[in-house]
Amino acid sequence: MDEKTLRNIIEEVMKEFGAGSGGGTATAVMTAPSVSSASGTLKISEAAPAERGTNPREVVIALAPGFGGRMTSTITGVDHGEVLREVCAGIEEQGLTYRFIRVFRTADVGFIAHEAAKLSGSGIGIGIQSRGTTVIHQKDLPPLSNLELFSQAPLIDLETFRAIGENAAKYAKSESPSPVPVRNDQMARPRYQAIAALWHIKETQLCDPNKKTATLRVEYR
Amino acid sequence: MKSKRFEALDARPVNKDGFVTEWPEVGLIAMNGPNDPQPSIRIQNGKVVELDGKSRDEFDMIDTFIADYGIKLDNAEAVNAMDSLELARKLVDINVPRAEVVKLTTAMTPAKICEVIGKMTVLEMMMSVTKMRARKSPANQAHVTNLKDNPVQIAADAAEASLRGFAELETTVGIARYAPFNAIALMVGAQVGRPGILTQCAVEEATELNLGMRGFTAYAETVSVYGTEPVFMDGDDTPWSKAFLASCYASRGLKMRFTSGTGSEVQMGYAEGKSMLYLEARCLYITKAAGSQGIQNGSVSCVGVPAAVPGGIRAILAENLIATALDLECASSNDQTFTHSDLRRVARSLMQFVPGTDFICSGYSATPNYDNMFAGSNWDADDYDDWIIIQRDLKVDGGLVPVLEEDVTRVRNKAAKVIQAVFRELGLTEISDEEVEAATYARGSQDMPNRNVVEDIKAAEDLLKRGLTGVDIVKALAKSGFEDVATSVYGMLRQRVAGDYLHTSAILTDKFEVISAVNQPNDYNGPQTGYQISDEKWEQLKTIRQAISPENV
Amino acid sequence: MESEELIRQIMDEVMKNLAKDQVSFAKKPAGANGSAGSVSAANYPLGEKMPEKIKSATGKVLSDFSVDKVISGQLTAEDFRIAPETLELQAQVAESVGRDTLARNMRRAAELIKVPDDELLQVYNSLRPYRSTKAELYGIADGLESKYGCTVNAAFIREAADVYEKRGRLKAD
Repeated sequence: MDEKTLRNIIEEVMKEFGAGSGGGTATAVMTAPSVSSASGTLKISEAAPAERGTNPREVVIALAPGFGGRMTSTITGVDHGEVLREVCAGIEEQGLTYRFIRVFRTADVGFIAHEAAKLSGSGIGIGIQSRGTTVIHQKDLPPLSNLELFSQAPLIDLETFRAIGENAAKYAKSESPSPVPVRNDQMARPRYQAIAALWHIKETQLCDPNKKTATLRVEYR
Repeated sequence: MKSKRFEALDARPVNKDGFVTEWPEVGLIAMNGPNDPQPSIRIQNGKVVELDGKSRDEFDMIDTFIADYGIKLDNAEAVNAMDSLELARKLVDINVPRAEVVKLTTAMTPAKICEVIGKMTVLEMMMSVTKMRARKSPANQAHVTNLKDNPVQIAADAAEASLRGFAELETTVGIARYAPFNAIALMVGAQVGRPGILTQCAVEEATELNLGMRGFTAYAETVSVYGTEPVFMDGDDTPWSKAFLASCYASRGLKMRFTSGTGSEVQMGYAEGKSMLYLEARCLYITKAAGSQGIQNGSVSCVGVPAAVPGGIRAILAENLIATALDLECASSNDQTFTHSDLRRVARSLMQFVPGTDFICSGYSATPNYDNMFAGSNWDADDYDDWIIIQRDLKVDGGLVPVLEEDVTRVRNKAAKVIQAVFRELGLTEISDEEVEAATYARGSQDMPNRNVVEDIKAAEDLLKRGLTGVDIVKALAKSGFEDVATSVYGMLRQRVAGDYLHTSAILTDKFEVISAVNQPNDYNGPQTGYQISDEKWEQLKTIRQAISPENV
Repeated sequence: MESEELIRQIMDEVMKNLAKDQVSFAKKPAGANGSAGSVSAANYPLGEKMPEKIKSATGKVLSDFSVDKVISGQLTAEDFRIAPETLELQAQVAESVGRDTLARNMRRAAELIKVPDDELLQVYNSLRPYRSTKAELYGIADGLESKYGCTVNAAFIREAADVYEKRGRLKAD
């Protein structure tokens, strides 16, 4: 990707953000219609800079720079809109609320999830990369540790995303859930690793080390 | 119309692998990249003022660290001015001793060593690895993990792996909070199989150090370093924090090696347009600069990236060679799946198997790959007989020995019983007789009953809070009547007081004698020198259960 | 320019300190610990060839160690810690076979033996990127130096702080 293409992407993204920004705050986003039952195509817009929440019954979901923006589906083609529906449904089932943020400083899923946890009123956050790699994090753990890590993106299906939402909510309620069963496919690497690298290179090209984490408005149109 | 020949070819396993074309601008190129710097070094008043085309004011963190600590400066300008082809010849030449080569390589810059190695074929690199490996005798390492983090299975698999000849065992977790259980089960199981096996538990850096301090592990390996500054940051460290961590391990009498590998920078999205091998060379000079005795390298978990580009497997051998040439212990990967093709995976491993490295695999999966929590190894438990027979075919010591089924079930059963007793004595969760029985005969976790994961995790966290250490395990073993295993675990703890195994390429015999590059340096200088398979060893390697002898016909 | 000057100055100090330490270590007689002056690869493995001269951090002699003493409680977890003098001997062994950087690491490690586990982990975490301000890192260095006499490590941490500042890797306020 050359500089010009990158510039175009950034301009486009900025325009998108401009169109959707209605000065939303954390509360405004939470009163938006439920993501799990929304229909239509995912539309994500950037609102105010993210702040630390005080609601102990919330889970913060942090998205990598490209998720639901420049990239629209995971490495195996699962639609990003569907991913968020399932995660949110899992959280709602447990009677908790959620809030979305986007991290720009890094595309590393450990740091993204840790940022979510640090800003979450419950101290529990979820980080999701565009390719699908996901982490459930807790604010007091080191950034590259985790409560649960789903490192093999090609193996994470919608059912797993729902279970991830559920478990994150349970941790937020100070329960000790059984971790979502880990999947392992030793042939995922030969098939996907080089492609996953291309994916990640594109995501890191969307990073901005100086840009503060933002609250997101997540809609389906 | 479709060619039937191509139809058949398309259906071959190799065509399930992912391949990509080179993309040098983002670093998707194995070695000799068009944007790699030209080698250069300028020294003023004993200080490097220019390194590989950058002046000191342009240095990033990594350049600074390498320039200040990583290169032997006395001779650096002269060595870097030498013809790279002549230097490449010295690396291969059996008449140039290892010690002389080390004086040259440790004075080179990262770009220089890449230029030198870039002149060699894989055959020449293999010759050179035979000479440059630090320890005289090769060895091997195994992964011992499972999908359920089942500690009984870990103990049994560790015992079997030790019996089969691995010198080091490594575990990791599916669920991070299981780490203390996995570490303890691995250590105890390993000592049942063969006293003196070194064990480690690969988890987040600070947690890994904590497990070592408590005496649940003997060494650490996943101390990762990276070749560009942004990737180092995403790895949540700096050269200084990693060097400090290296000293923390040594201060507790724990063996430690760094980890790096080609492809990690491009995989993490910040290769700065440099080739994979050049960035890996930077990692190796950081490793040297930090004072780590060794490295695990050979692309490791990023192998799918170099394996997808032209010359990638050659670059992996090249990085192993650079590690040995810098006088570092080299645990040479061969530990991650990278292909669907059995032919490709053997061809890739012969590069280290034939010349021999300090640990040919780092590691070989001691379980079927479905249980390998490093996302699958290039070799697994189902390949044990293949590995042993390839050793026998080529008369190569690849670190494993043939074993009998009755011996394997015996040590597995004992390890399971021992971990059952340890858990009981330490007030951890219960291990049932049914689990002991299952672990004795299991192939993998599909043959194991499920455990109460929530209770296990609570007990594992509680164990840390209670401040349990290796000493408590020795006592628990003795109290439950396993004095022999107590003595072996004690033998491991004793090592950390003397610190002999902190030296390059150290492993332990079954009598807890240290073998390292200090007392057993590689002295290869042509046929019939260096490591030779003894008659006794050859007898052992020859004797496989499958062979039919004339008396039986 | 100013920070470069500072780095240079500190580097000079570090180098001097390192050199001083090596000299003073080498000059150390039979040792506070009763260990045998200077050693080389010929004495290695020390634990096998001279266990009567190797002591733990708690001062117990390695040749007196036994599993029975662990079981009876005479030896505790604290006794299985390496002593600074032993690491110095191992550093000399490393130097005798040309491994200077390994020796330097062992000498840094020798200083850190006294630092309690929790504190050591804290220092390590503070050295990770974006964790500390420059003043915090300097404070940690001062603490290690005054509390535990870790002069080499203190200089190393100050040097890190300066490099982090230059590269924008300090904690943002």
